[in-house]
Amino acid sequence: MNLSVQLAPKNKHGLLLANPVMTASGTFGYGTEYSHMFDIQRLGAIVCKGTSLEPRGGNPQPRLAETACGLLNSIGLQNIGVKALIKEKAPIWASWHLPVIVNIVGETVDDYAQLAGELDGIAGIGGIEVNIGCPNIKAGGAEFGAKPKSAAEVTAAVKATTSLPVLVKLTPNTSDIAEVAMAVAEAGADAISLINTLKGIAIDIAKRRPLLGSITGGLSGPAIKPVALYMVYEVAGAVELPIIGCGGITTASDALEFIMAGASAIQVGTASFTNPRAPLDVLEGIEQFMEKEGIDNLAELIGVARR
Amino acid sequence: MRQATARVISNNEIMPRVYLVWLNSPPIASQAQPGQFVMVRCGEGLEYQLRRPLSIHQLDGNEIALLFTVVGKGTRWLSQCQAGDNLDLLGPLGNGYSIHSGSHNLLLVAGGIGIAPLVFLAQQALNQGCSVTLLSGTPTTTQLYPEYLLPPEVKLVTATEDGTAGRKGMITNLLPDFMGWADQIFACGPISMYQTIAARKQHLLKGKPTQVSLEVRMGCGRGVCYGCTVKTKRGLRQVCKDGPVFDLDDILWDELADGGV
Repeated sequence: MNLSVQLAPKNKHGLLLANPVMTASGTFGYGTEYSHMFDIQRLGAIVCKGTSLEPRGGNPQPRLAETACGLLNSIGLQNIGVKALIKEKAPIWASWHLPVIVNIVGETVDDYAQLAGELDGIAGIGGIEVNIGCPNIKAGGAEFGAKPKSAAEVTAAVKATTSLPVLVKLTPNTSDIAEVAMAVAEAGADAISLINTLKGIAIDIAKRRPLLGSITGGLSGPAIKPVALYMVYEVAGAVELPIIGCGGITTASDALEFIMAGASAIQVGTASFTNPRAPLDVLEGIEQFMEKEGIDNLAELIGVARR
Repeated sequence: MRQATARVISNNEIMPRVYLVWLNSPPIASQAQPGQFVMVRCGEGLEYQLRRPLSIHQLDGNEIALLFTVVGKGTRWLSQCQAGDNLDLLGPLGNGYSIHSGSHNLLLVAGGIGIAPLVFLAQQALNQGCSVTLLSGTPTTTQLYPEYLLPPEVKLVTATEDGTAGRKGMITNLLPDFMGWADQIFACGPISMYQTIAARKQHLLKGKPTQVSLEVRMGCGRGVCYGCTVKTKRGLRQVCKDGPVFDLDDILWDELADGGV
């Protein structure tokens, strides 16, 4: 059975995954935290916590609010910064045999370009995921992903400073995600991942004020799955690039829906909080489905619901 | 840290809306230390995205007890579980209380349901030959933890805000009476209790070393999601991984919102 997928066919390094199951940024740390719980190297790829040029402290408490079938977060991209990542994490990843993709976030186009440049050529880093859709930081973040022009600017700047495969992660908080996807593809992205969280809010009625310390947050979890699936379906019809689907994937059935909608790979995110083994369970479920349906090559399933 | 299926031995409402559940879980019981916690999965479907962090309340061989108040849908679901049911746990997690080598007289200070981790600490401290005094404070008498559930060697002192049992007033008012006796202080309660203690530290604690257990909304329970970050004098710390027990002096209390659940 062949589950491998190539996510950057035009890139000189390529980004070959043994299978389509990845972890979503911000929900799996740096991978090291889970490495003794199960064999994480059975997964297709790890995407690490969003990383900025300088360490970030993140937003005030409370940062989490559970909603029906969903999770609102306003972490604010707390992270160790790119220098610590290169020094402390990359050497560990270099000994792994699955690709680790670094999610990057900046407040200016130059931040993104500089981050991509610093990661270029570092052993242990298989690719970059450009986060232009985080709703939880005041400057940059989601603003870049909201408009085709700024999304393309960031993509082009990153491509100019790195030879690594570049995934661009889109935000659903935009009026026309297909237009943003086309602009990003035009600007040279190797692949597109979607979706980031949907902007949301929750109110504590006893205290009569927003529940989250920074008022708004990003919604993830099963609650957003139909929206994410629709956007993957939409974008798959608009661009030729490989697509990585993300948003509320909890089970293999969820993952297969995204694959049939046109995703070449998928990311498991919030589900890891409830069940740390969720990414592996999803992978095993996909394998069982293929066996039961007599499918030898995962490629046979990609976009099959579109035909 | 393990992901383990634990069989429910018993589950009883021991005070209004407060449940004591005993679970059989050899992998967790064999490693648990006082002040550590488990993440309990609530519900079987997709409704709940977050596990509930609950302190390990007591230990008995292969069994652990959890003590929790029903505060929302997840804990309501948990309150319905019955003997023979299985629960999905992650644990034991976090860094617990540590008894200094020279400490003999231990003062435990519980604010409300904050008694949860302190009973396990009392068990272990008594096993080590320490003397334990437990100050337990609640708004009213019906919320006081039943004395028959405590190890008999524990000296219990109670206070209620409405004066229906024990001394009238806040439990923190009793602290100065014990500073001549106590070698070390261990507290668990709402953030407002810690803020009261921290603000009048010299008067209340007379410089005695004090450890507190923080309750903050948690996502993953293992330092991955950065949902439970707090500011400390040593920089940012994650309550789930670096805590939940911290030195009182390390926390920047004015910066901490009362976001407990």
